[in-house]
Amino acid sequence: MEILKRLNVTVSGSGPRALVFVHGFGCNQRMWRLVAPAFADRYRVVLLDLVGAGQSDLTAYDPARYSTLEAHADDVLAVLQALDLRDAVLVGHSVSATIGLLAAIREPARVARLVLVAPSPRFLNDVGYTGGFEPADIEDLLDTMDNNYLGWSAVMAPVIMAQPDRPELMAELHNSFCSTDPAIARHFARVTFLADNRADLPRLRAPALILQCAHDALAPRAVGDYLHAHLPDSQLVVLDTSGHCPHLSAPQATIAAINHFLKPVRTA
Amino acid sequence: MTMSEADDMLPGLDLRLTEEDPDDLYEHAPCGYCSCLPDGTLVRINQTLLSWLGYARQELLARQSLSQLLTVGGRLHYETHCAPLLLLQGEVREMSYSLRRRDGGILPVLLNATLRRDAAGEPLVVRITLFDITERRKYEQDLLRAKEQAEAQREQLRLQNEQLTRTNQDLDNFVYTASHDLKQPVNNLAGLFGELRRTATFNDPAAAAMMGMVDEALQQMLSTIDGLTEVVQRQRQPEPAPTETTALQALTEEIIRGLPPQPRGQEAHFTLDFAAAPALRMARTALHSVLANLLSNALKYAQPGRRPRIAVRTARAPGATVLRVQDNGRGLDLARHGAELFQLFRRFHPDVPGSGVGLYLVHRLVHQAGGQVEVSSVPGEGTTFQLILPE
Repeated sequence: MEILKRLNVTVSGSGPRALVFVHGFGCNQRMWRLVAPAFADRYRVVLLDLVGAGQSDLTAYDPARYSTLEAHADDVLAVLQALDLRDAVLVGHSVSATIGLLAAIREPARVARLVLVAPSPRFLNDVGYTGGFEPADIEDLLDTMDNNYLGWSAVMAPVIMAQPDRPELMAELHNSFCSTDPAIARHFARVTFLADNRADLPRLRAPALILQCAHDALAPRAVGDYLHAHLPDSQLVVLDTSGHCPHLSAPQATIAAINHFLKPVRTA
Repeated sequence: MTMSEADDMLPGLDLRLTEEDPDDLYEHAPCGYCSCLPDGTLVRINQTLLSWLGYARQELLARQSLSQLLTVGGRLHYETHCAPLLLLQGEVREMSYSLRRRDGGILPVLLNATLRRDAAGEPLVVRITLFDITERRKYEQDLLRAKEQAEAQREQLRLQNEQLTRTNQDLDNFVYTASHDLKQPVNNLAGLFGELRRTATFNDPAAAAMMGMVDEALQQMLSTIDGLTEVVQRQRQPEPAPTETTALQALTEEIIRGLPPQPRGQEAHFTLDFAAAPALRMARTALHSVLANLLSNALKYAQPGRRPRIAVRTARAPGATVLRVQDNGRGLDLARHGAELFQLFRRFHPDVPGSGVGLYLVHRLVHQAGGQVEVSSVPGEGTTFQLILPE
C-alpha cells in the first residue's frame, strides 16, 4: 500500500496487539533496534520513518503540509488504518510522543495506550512553564545544523525537492545512520521545537506511560512533572540514565518499564 | 618499501633525541583531547583543550559534561544527533560545533568521537578529539552568506524575468493589435485618396505637389504598419529548426526579381558568388526576409548619381559560413550610429522613405539562427554586411 511505502513501514513479530514505534527528531526507525526486537515474540512490531526522515519518501515532504505535527499524526493514523490495527500501543520518542498523543486523541479506537519516551509538549519556556529553551537557542540549533550540512549540502534552491538526477547525494545521505535531507531536517527542527501542544494534554483518554531520563537536557524533570500533572491517566517513570535517548542509553530499563506498563493488570 | 624493511630501519631512529613521550604528546597535542563517561561527565582532558577554553582542570573534571561546554543549540544537536549516533554506530566524524570558553567567548571546533565498550558490551567511555576551526568557520559563514545571497538574487531575477516576459507579451499584443487596427483605416484612406485624385480638380497650382506629398505620407504609413506586423509575427513564431539549410542562388535571384525597378541608366548591377558555400543553415522564410531587407536597403541608400553595384558572396570561416552583402552606396558613420544600427524604428537617412524595421529584423533573425551580424561602412563609399552563421 502506498502509505506503507511512503513511511518505509516494516512489520515484524506476532501477537494479538501491535506496538508501533515512532522515532523523534534527528534520527529514524533504526533508533529502536535495541528495544523493538524484545517485543517481537508477543506483539506485532511496527516501525516507520516519518515522512522526511530515514528511507521515507522525501519527495512527499511538502513543507506547507508538514508545518504542524498534526500532519505527522495523520500519517501515523493512516499507517494504523492500512495495517488494520486497533487498540495498538504507540511508542513515541521526543517530538513523536506528541505526535502519538495527537493520533490517540483523534482516533481513540486505534490507539489503546501511549508510551511517551522523553516527551515534551513544548520545548520553549513560557510564562509559568519551563520548557528549557529560548527562541535564540532554536536559532542556534539551526545554525549548528547549517554548519554541519555545509560540506555536502548541494541544495541551492531554498525549496525542498528531491534530486533524482543526483544519485551521489543520496549515497551520502545513506552514509550514516541518521542523516537526512538538510533542508527537511531544518524545517522539521522548526516544527518540532516551536510546537506547543500543552493544551492537548487533558484531551487524552488513553492511559499513558511517561518515560523520563534522570538527566535530559531536552526534557528537564519539570517537563515530566508537568505532563504527569496534566495527562488524565498517566504514570511517570524516571530512568536512571543521561541524555535524551533512553532506548539507546538504557535499553533494558526501557524495555522493563514498557513491559510493566503493558501488564494486563496494573495499578493506576 | 615492505613491512620488514621498514622494521629494519627503526633502530636507526632515537626518539629520545626528540624528547617525544606519549604523556606530553597527549597533554600538548596540536588538538584538544577529552574523555567522557557514557553520561557525558568529563573524566580526562588535555592541556591544549584547557588552555583553549581557559579552564583549570579541576573546574571541569567530574563536574561538567561535554555537552555543557557546547552552546545551547549545539547541545540540542549533540543530544538529538551525535549521542544517538555514537550509541548506534560507535563513532561520529567531523561534527561542527561551538565550544563556550570560560570567558564567554566561542571556539568553533570540529569534533570526532569514538565510543569504547567494556567486555560485556556496555558503553565504557567516549573519546573525543577536537580541532580548532576558527578560520575555517569564518570562510564557511562567508560561503553560507554568499549562498543565501545568491539564492535571494536568483529569486529576485526570476521574478523580474517573469515580469519582463509578461511586459514583452503585452507589448507584442499591443503592437499587433495597433498595427492590425490601423491598417484597415489607412487602406481605406489610400483608396479614397486615389479616388479623389482621379475625380477631383483643384485650382491651386500647388495642389499637385501637395497631392504627391500626401500620397507619399500614406505609403510611408502603410510600410511602417507592414513592418510592425512582420516584426510581431516573427517574434510569435517558434524558433526555426536549427537543421534547416537553404540554397542561396535561386533564393537571391528570386528576391532580386522582386525588387522595385530603378531609374533608367541607374539599374543596379548584381554580382552573385556562392561557390564557397552554396547554402546557409537558416530557415528559408527567415533568410528570405534577411536578404530582401539587405538588398532593398542597398538600393534605397544608393549614392545619388552612382550606379549601384551590389555583391552577394559566401565564404568559409572556421565552424561558420559567412554571407557578405556589399554595396557602393552612401555608407554610414558607424562611429556615430553603430550602436543604434539594429534598434527598432531607428533611422539614419530621413530623406529616404523607410520604417526603421528592416535592420532590426535582420539582426533578430540571424541571432535566432545562432549567428551574428557584422557591419563595416565608409561614408560616401559603401557598406558591407557580414552574416556569420554556424555550420
